[in-house]
Amino acid sequence: MEKRFMKGCEAIAEAAVRGGCRFFAGYPITPQNEIPEYLSWRLPEVGGAFVQGESEVASINMVYGAAATGKRALTSSSGPGISLKAEGISYLASAQLPAVIVNISRGGPGLGSIQPAQSDYLQATKALGHGGFRAMVFAPATLQEAVDLTYNAWEYAERDRGPVLILMDGCLGAIMEEVELPPMKELKIENTEDWDLSRANGRTDAHMITPILPEPALEMLNRAKGMVYNMMWPMDAKAEEYMLDDAEYVVVAYGIAARVAKEAINELRAKGVKIGMIRPITLYPFPKSIENLDYSKVKGIIDIEMTIPAQMRDDIELQVKGRCPVHEYGRSGGMLLDDEGVYNAIAEITGGGN
Amino acid sequence: MKKSFVFSGSGGQGIMSAGIMLAHTAIDMNKHSTYLPEYGPEQRGGSAKCTVIISDGEIISPLTKKCDNLIVMNEQAYAKFGDSVKEGGLLVLNSSRIKEEITREDVKVLAVPVDDIALELGNVKAANIVLIGALIGATDVVSKDAFVASLEEKFKTKKPEILELNLKALEKGIEFGKAAK
Repeated sequence: MEKRFMKGCEAIAEAAVRGGCRFFAGYPITPQNEIPEYLSWRLPEVGGAFVQGESEVASINMVYGAAATGKRALTSSSGPGISLKAEGISYLASAQLPAVIVNISRGGPGLGSIQPAQSDYLQATKALGHGGFRAMVFAPATLQEAVDLTYNAWEYAERDRGPVLILMDGCLGAIMEEVELPPMKELKIENTEDWDLSRANGRTDAHMITPILPEPALEMLNRAKGMVYNMMWPMDAKAEEYMLDDAEYVVVAYGIAARVAKEAINELRAKGVKIGMIRPITLYPFPKSIENLDYSKVKGIIDIEMTIPAQMRDDIELQVKGRCPVHEYGRSGGMLLDDEGVYNAIAEITGGGN
Repeated sequence: MKKSFVFSGSGGQGIMSAGIMLAHTAIDMNKHSTYLPEYGPEQRGGSAKCTVIISDGEIISPLTKKCDNLIVMNEQAYAKFGDSVKEGGLLVLNSSRIKEEITREDVKVLAVPVDDIALELGNVKAANIVLIGALIGATDVVSKDAFVASLEEKFKTKKPEILELNLKALEKGIEFGKAAK
């Protein structure tokens, strides 16, 4: 494996190339500009194509077109830009085309702030576009994890024929740390036959533009997708479980928030506080780890997010089912979480570590 | 051992590249390091800040409220971040630009006229290297040899005079840092 000291956005871009991405279209927005900047020179090196679109809407539709020709296609943006791409993402889902979308999130709502925040959880997990489709959402906490998840994202997109989202905040997009890069993937072209228009070979079920389907056909399609979401995806849910065995308090946090929280947990453990953490790696499907905790021991769940109010809380409460109190702590609007603030918040809730 | 460094100043003072070079050198020395830049929407002249963490072990949280070492390049940065250095920590300041009296008595203060030194050597752009020199002299955060190797790598495509200037800047900074140790 090759080790490199890389910026988060660039690590994602390189992992995408090594994972087989050969097309990118996007429109600039902070804090994700290093992804297109990197791919603008990197993709041509491997025979791929880079387009700076005239808008987010154009870019997501170019990704649609590229995906329809069997290419592994990518777009990236940040909150406001993802909102603009929402229509195209829904069309990708409708046409059952595989593609990967990266959201390097910043403060919101609206134009918000260009500084990092985890303010797009609800958008990512509940409604990435209209019409009731779902997308798998991966939320890396380290650049190594970002590399590994991006590298394999198209396998999920192609297996389930739809968009996959990688959600990472602006801190992890800008930070530099050491990563091990996996080798360049050799892609098997035969996999793409089902959706690659250029290989339709006279089949008439292949369309560039999805028609308005007859209602029974659309219902059947939605039923099939529902089966995939409800039966298959739970098996793909991933979480890191940390020091849960004797935990009386459990932090639930993802991405950058989980890293800040983990350091606080280590300090509190050293002072005798029985505390652990569940870190969802897939935000959708949302892992079942919280449901299965031993609530005869657990006195409280602490949801820590870099957004106010907490957005993951609804998903947490659905698993806690009132068996213990759920607390929340966060920062928002581009104000960052820090070690002291997180430690003090947890110490106050648990009444320990002072 | 885990140490945090905050570099602060305004855009154009070499704050970000100083942070990256320090982090890179630590990686070259087989340590763990993270580098996190923070800046506003301005292309030039706005406030610039970066946080570098260097550790022998894995770095869990890259976000820290208080730092062990604060490096400030101008008065605005001092006003904004002066309180963020931990008690017993080190405050390195650019005394060419910071004229006000430093009121904190619970930290070690290292005042280095980095702009003046760099100007004397021939180019104010080398001020950030003088600063890193002072940091290396005062803290042994990375070895001088490892940093020289990073500089050689960084400037290998440039004219040799540029490397020479930066090496001199580093040497001057180390002198200042050692004197304060």
